[in-house]
Amino acid sequence: MASIQDIRRRIRSVKNTQQVTKAMKMISAVKLRKSQDRLVALRPYATKLHEVVERVVTRFEAGSQVPTSVLAQAFLAPREEQQIRVVVVASDKGLCGGFNANLLKAADVFYREKGSLVAHLDVVGKRASDWARKHQHPVAAEFVQIGLPDLLKVAQEIAEGATGQYARGEIDALYVVHNYFHSALSQGPKVIKVFPMAFEATPEAKPEVSHLLEPDPNSVLESLLPRFIESEVYRALIESSASEHAARMSSMDKASSNAQEMIDKLTLNMNKVRQAAITNQIIEIVSGAAS
Amino acid sequence: MDGHLLLEVVTPQRKVFSAEVSELSFPTAHRGYYGILPGHTPVMTPVGDGLITYIQNGQKLLLTVFGGFAEVGPDRVTILARESETPEMLDAAALEIARQEAQKRLKEAQDPLAIATAQADLDATGIRFQALGQTL
Repeated sequence: MASIQDIRRRIRSVKNTQQVTKAMKMISAVKLRKSQDRLVALRPYATKLHEVVERVVTRFEAGSQVPTSVLAQAFLAPREEQQIRVVVVASDKGLCGGFNANLLKAADVFYREKGSLVAHLDVVGKRASDWARKHQHPVAAEFVQIGLPDLLKVAQEIAEGATGQYARGEIDALYVVHNYFHSALSQGPKVIKVFPMAFEATPEAKPEVSHLLEPDPNSVLESLLPRFIESEVYRALIESSASEHAARMSSMDKASSNAQEMIDKLTLNMNKVRQAAITNQIIEIVSGAAS
Repeated sequence: MDGHLLLEVVTPQRKVFSAEVSELSFPTAHRGYYGILPGHTPVMTPVGDGLITYIQNGQKLLLTVFGGFAEVGPDRVTILARESETPEMLDAAALEIARQEAQKRLKEAQDPLAIATAQADLDATGIRFQALGQTL
């Protein structure tokens, strides 16, 4: 049986670990709030942009004059998928439960389906770049150690690159594999197709006002496309960041309560051992006095 | 035509501006400014870099804008900007540093891409200074 001293030492070390996990949980909670704020701040922009795109696109479906430029066609008559660009978004750091494992599993499934089409792979986060190296997927661009304020720049870079590639016929579609953020308690991997996008013709889509497109329909659609991709990719990046912190928060919470359980068990054990020692001593004294 | 326009400026980072104005103009991507009065024909157009001028309670005020998209309706104008600031959000001291840094890069830049980005950054600080100048 372990001595009281040994058990005391164990308890102390578990307590130290618990302090660390508690602190990490707190930090993640703060970071989660920051990411969530960004997500909320993006929402009005994204919704408005969606509205605008939808209005322009439905208008063309009803209208007669169809823009002819390649980029404008991306909205209306997507090409068949021959080559695609994929962005895999994971995290830089671990200790966040199944966050990365689940995501990379989803990326593997995606590769099994469409791996032969992938012409351009971007990875965001160290875990994703490790994954690509392990599976020997050639990586075109790697974004690691990106802070929250710089995510927008990453999104802009990807959007501009993808638009150019579409115009040159190098890619036909852009996919993002990321962790979507449903709430602080529920996240999960998700594959989204950023463009070409399919707009389901909503029945209540009222063709109320038809906007003039200045200077001409082609340039309007051409300048809308990168904006649209940018906001979608940016949202995916922020959602992933929020999910990461949420996942880390809940896994650190679990670790803290596990540590507490362990401390309780060890304390009980220690008290038992101490009680046994006292009982022993009493027996010794009593039997000594009796003889 | 009498009436008011609701001007809304949103960026991916935040909602920059939302208020009733009586008149405004914004830069377009294809050169020149677009002036909007209440009751304007619905228009959609890409936005360039420059200053949004609007008149609110008889006062002429400014916003910066860098790229984006404008949707104009008879009683509202929505500008989806890549970046945009109100003069209150700008800091003259930080801008001065940014300008000097951009000038330095412009001098040192060799390849055309670096020159272009440095020039663009310099132009952007110029626009921001103009927005500040109006309110100082």
